[in-house]
Amino acid sequence: MTQPANRKRFTVPIGPQHPALKEPGHFAFDVDGEIVQSASVRLGYAHRGIEKATESRTWVQNLYLLERICGICSHIHATAYCLGVEKLAQVEVPPRAQAIRSLVAELERIHSHLLWLGVAAHESGFDTLFMYSWRDRETVMNILEVMTGNRVHYSANVLGGVKYDVDDQQAATIREGLDFLEERTLHYLEVVSTDSLFLQRTRNIGVMDREAAQLSGVIGPTGRASNVQRDVRLDSPYAAYADHPITPVYETTGDLLARFVVRLREQLTSIDYIRMLLDHLPNSPLTTRMPRRVKAGEAISRVEAPRGELFYYIKSNGGDMPDRIHVRTPTLCNIASVAQLVIGQHLADVPMILVGIDPCFSCNDRTSVICQDGQRDMWDWARLRQYGIDHYGTHYTKDLG
Amino acid sequence: MTTERNLLHAQSILGDLTTDWSQPAPDRYDAFVQPDNLVAVVTTLHQDRWGYLAAITGLDKGPEVGEFEVLYHFCADAAVLTLRVIIDRADPVMPSICGVMLYASPYERETGEMLGITFAGTPDDAWLFLPDDWQSEVFPLRKDAVLNGNGGGDA
Repeated sequence: MTQPANRKRFTVPIGPQHPALKEPGHFAFDVDGEIVQSASVRLGYAHRGIEKATESRTWVQNLYLLERICGICSHIHATAYCLGVEKLAQVEVPPRAQAIRSLVAELERIHSHLLWLGVAAHESGFDTLFMYSWRDRETVMNILEVMTGNRVHYSANVLGGVKYDVDDQQAATIREGLDFLEERTLHYLEVVSTDSLFLQRTRNIGVMDREAAQLSGVIGPTGRASNVQRDVRLDSPYAAYADHPITPVYETTGDLLARFVVRLREQLTSIDYIRMLLDHLPNSPLTTRMPRRVKAGEAISRVEAPRGELFYYIKSNGGDMPDRIHVRTPTLCNIASVAQLVIGQHLADVPMILVGIDPCFSCNDRTSVICQDGQRDMWDWARLRQYGIDHYGTHYTKDLG
Repeated sequence: MTTERNLLHAQSILGDLTTDWSQPAPDRYDAFVQPDNLVAVVTTLHQDRWGYLAAITGLDKGPEVGEFEVLYHFCADAAVLTLRVIIDRADPVMPSICGVMLYASPYERETGEMLGITFAGTPDDAWLFLPDDWQSEVFPLRKDAVLNGNGGGDA
C-alpha cells in the first residue's frame, strides 16, 4: 500500500495532567503514524514563586520554605541551602551532624528510587512490581519516621547542624530495615534484568550514548546510565562524603534498562553506605551557633539529589534575609533530553522514556495565579495562606457539624 | 590540585576573551565577560570540553543601579567557573548560547521570562514556567515587580 504524498503529521498533546508521573507537565509530540518526529515541553503547572518568596523571608524561615520545594527530596534541598548559607557565614558544622545529613540523604535516595521504580513499573503495565516496590518503600519511610518523626518533610537540618541524633535502638531499627531492603532490591534487580516482557519495554528503548548524554547536559542516574561519570558526592564532596567516599555506579548501554539497573544498584550502594556511617558515627555536638545575619557575599552549593546534581546560588547583602536564591533542579537539566530521546521512537514508548529520567515537576516549578469566575488574579503568599486557613477551617467545621 | 589545575586551565584558554578575573573561593573563579564575547567564551570552553554548564542565574541589581547581571556557572569536578555578564537594564538583550550548547535552552527561557531579558537567537522563547496568557510586562524576579493584584495577567 502506498502512502499518499500529502500525508500530514499530527500533533499529539500529552498532559498537563499525568503525562507519566502523577505530576503536571505538557508535551506536544509531532507524529508521523506511530513514530515521533519532534517534541516540545511546557512546564510551570506547579510553579509557586518560591525563589521570589525567599527574598522576603529570614534565613531561618527560608530553610522551611526551600525544603518544601519537593515532597520527595525535601532533605537534599534543605542540605544544599544549609551548606551554602554556612559557607557564607563561615560556620563549621560538627562532624556528627555532617554524617547524619549524609545518612538521611541516602535514606531519602532509597525512598526516591523505590518510588520511581513503582511509577516506572506502572507505566510499563507491570503493576505487580509497582505494588511490591511501594509496599517495600514503606520500610524506608518508617525508618525516616523513627529518626525524625516525619515520613516526607523530615526537617532534619537546621542552619549550623541537624536536629536529630541516632541512638543505639534507632540504629538497630535502621539496620533491620536495611537488611530487608537489600534483599528486596537484589530481587528487583533480578526481575528487571530477566523478565522477558519487561525487557521488551526497556532494552534498547530510549538509547542515549555517552557522547549524546554529555551534549544534552544530562546528569544524575540518567547520565550515569550512559556512562557519564558525574556524581557530586564524589566530584565535590560535602557533608560526610569527604571523609567517606561513596562508590559511584555507572552503566554503559544508555537505554531504559540501564536507567533501572543504575538506580537499583545505587540503592544497594546507599544501603552499604548507611551501614558504614552507623559504624563510624563521630562523637560531637549536633549543632553550632549560627549568626542571625549572614555576611555579604555569594555562595554556590552543589549536592547530589536522587535525580542528579542540585545547584543552589545564594547571595547575601549582609542582612537577615537573602538578596537572591536561585535553584537549578536536576529535572531542568534532564527534561530537554526527553525531546531529543523520543524522536524516532514509538508514541507508546513516550511515557516510559519520560519516566526514565525520573522527572520531578514539583522540584522544577517553583506565582500562584488564581482564576475564579473568569477573573484572573495573582495572589501573594499571605493571601494564599489565609485562603488555606479559611478553606480548611470551613470544611473542618462542616465535618464536625 | 585538580580543582586548581582546572581553574588555571580555564583561565589560560580564555585569555583575552575576558576583561577581569577574581577568585571568591578556593574552588571558584569568576570571569568577567562582555556580552559580545560571550558566545566565543562558551565556544572555547565547549571545544576544550571544560566541564558542563550547570546553571544560568539572572540577577537584578535594581532600578537605581540600572543593570542586570547574568551568571553562567560551569562545573568541572569540584571547580566552578562563573562567567559574569553585565547588561543594561533598560535594554536587556543577551546573545543566546544555544547554538553552542542546545541544553542551555530551558535555562535561557527561565531567566528570560522571570527577569524580562531577551536572549537573541534562542530557539524557543515561549514561556516555560509562566502561564500562556501572561500578557503584562510583569517579570516576577525583578526587584521592582509588583506581585499583588492583577499584575500577572489580564482580568
